[in-house]
Amino acid sequence: MAHYTELNIGPIHPAVHGILKFKVKLQEEIIEDVEITLGFLHRNAEKICELNYYADNMVYFDRMDYIDAMNMELGYLTAVEKLMDMEVPERAQWIRMIMAELNRLAARLVGLGAFGLDMGMLTPFFHCFIEREKIQKIFVEASGGRQEVNYMSIGGVYQDFNDQIINDIREFLKEFKPYLEDIYGMFMHSEIFWQRNDGIGILEPDVALDYGVTGPLLRGSGIAYDVRKDAPYLFYDKVNFNIPISHKKDNMGRFILKVEEMRQSIRIIEQSIDKIPDGPYFNNKAKKSMMLRLKGDGEVFSRVESENGEFGVYVRGNGTFKPWRVHVRSPAFKNISVVPVMAKGMMIADLIVIIGSVDTVIGEIDR
Amino acid sequence: MYKIISESEDKNKIKIINIDKNDLIEFMEDYKSKGYYLSSITGVDMQDHLEVIYHIHNYDTHEYIEVKILTTDDKVPSLTKLWKAAKGDEREQYDLMGIIFEGHENLRRIVLPDEWVGHPLRKSYDLKKVQYINMDSEGKEHVSYNENEGW
Repeated sequence: MAHYTELNIGPIHPAVHGILKFKVKLQEEIIEDVEITLGFLHRNAEKICELNYYADNMVYFDRMDYIDAMNMELGYLTAVEKLMDMEVPERAQWIRMIMAELNRLAARLVGLGAFGLDMGMLTPFFHCFIEREKIQKIFVEASGGRQEVNYMSIGGVYQDFNDQIINDIREFLKEFKPYLEDIYGMFMHSEIFWQRNDGIGILEPDVALDYGVTGPLLRGSGIAYDVRKDAPYLFYDKVNFNIPISHKKDNMGRFILKVEEMRQSIRIIEQSIDKIPDGPYFNNKAKKSMMLRLKGDGEVFSRVESENGEFGVYVRGNGTFKPWRVHVRSPAFKNISVVPVMAKGMMIADLIVIIGSVDTVIGEIDR
Repeated sequence: MYKIISESEDKNKIKIINIDKNDLIEFMEDYKSKGYYLSSITGVDMQDHLEVIYHIHNYDTHEYIEVKILTTDDKVPSLTKLWKAAKGDEREQYDLMGIIFEGHENLRRIVLPDEWVGHPLRKSYDLKKVQYINMDSEGKEHVSYNENEGW
């Protein structure tokens, strides 16, 4: 008769990237089954959103995927602005796009750093955070917030870009490009990193689609799906960038892909920073005195590409100042559900690396 | 053969298809064979009935479709046999909205404790009534409304 061991990892454990419990059924060191327990960070943001005015909800979206706050705000705003038939000035849209891409870079840096940390690689973590700090300085300059920025607002952005910020971004990109290659080299020249990732955490494309997985996890399985190309929002159709895919289907492929996506993000920022036109940075219909008097009617489902994949927001308005229903299609929720499939038959130590590779943010899973 | 009640468009130009809930499985099987995948499930409480909204997505044609069904007795058929993505989504909607998905193998609460009373996203849910989860000596969870009870 087979002898099984049950092991609890989490809820509070540095390797699970937040507060999340994995109950692992083991036969010696081989994983038979993984059961995931969620809800340790549940705040029911969807209900809170129903109780607030449209403009108030920004702060709750900031705290969903808390390391990629700009894209969360963007997801909510693209939905709500369509609900209100609010137009956004061109300048504000370019600014939003730059900020979203900068935040994507910052979120990826956290993900890569923590991924190395999971395998005991301490050095890249510090280098990643030094670079992320520079992005956060730009955010402070623009919004006053470091991580939970609350920068975008209905009809535009909170504060205009000045020359200082544009110079800072240009300077940052110039320094960051060679730095990214250095960080990449630190990982790629490590024999241990290769051994622990090559061929580990294999995800077949049909399984990924069946589970509703999106983002780097889906692209790592060879399916070129990115909302920025699939259904362009903002001005993503006016800049040149590529959607990298990997046919390796494993952790290593996903890692290389994430770094390539960072290079593409840099490309997008470089092109957009030259294209910012002059003009207003918010719609006058949504100025401060009118902020709480905006009404929404009808229903809308809008999606953006966040660091984890397709972030969709469903909003239903009933003609009042408050939304009737807000629902979030959380990419990380879908991505974490595929971990038991990826981990089956692997060693227990590989589970930690797989979780690091999936790179979830618990604030977004539990909401 | 399923019957489409009406078609419309939401404000993001996504096609909305209204169907009867008894036709759901047949409709979804047809769309699955056309290459669609489940993206998300949303429940909306309209006070006298519930709306259940399915967003399905075709990765080849880039088409996004919203399928809407109504239910007055909180029960709808489960889609877990078609797409694995429905497993987590249906548990979440059961937990927060109280929609019972018939045919789901493991319809438990996912984010709230198992013993929680009520479904918070319902409009009739009383937010002022605070619940505390206590555990007895055998490890079973109980809901109490008294702050001082338990440890």
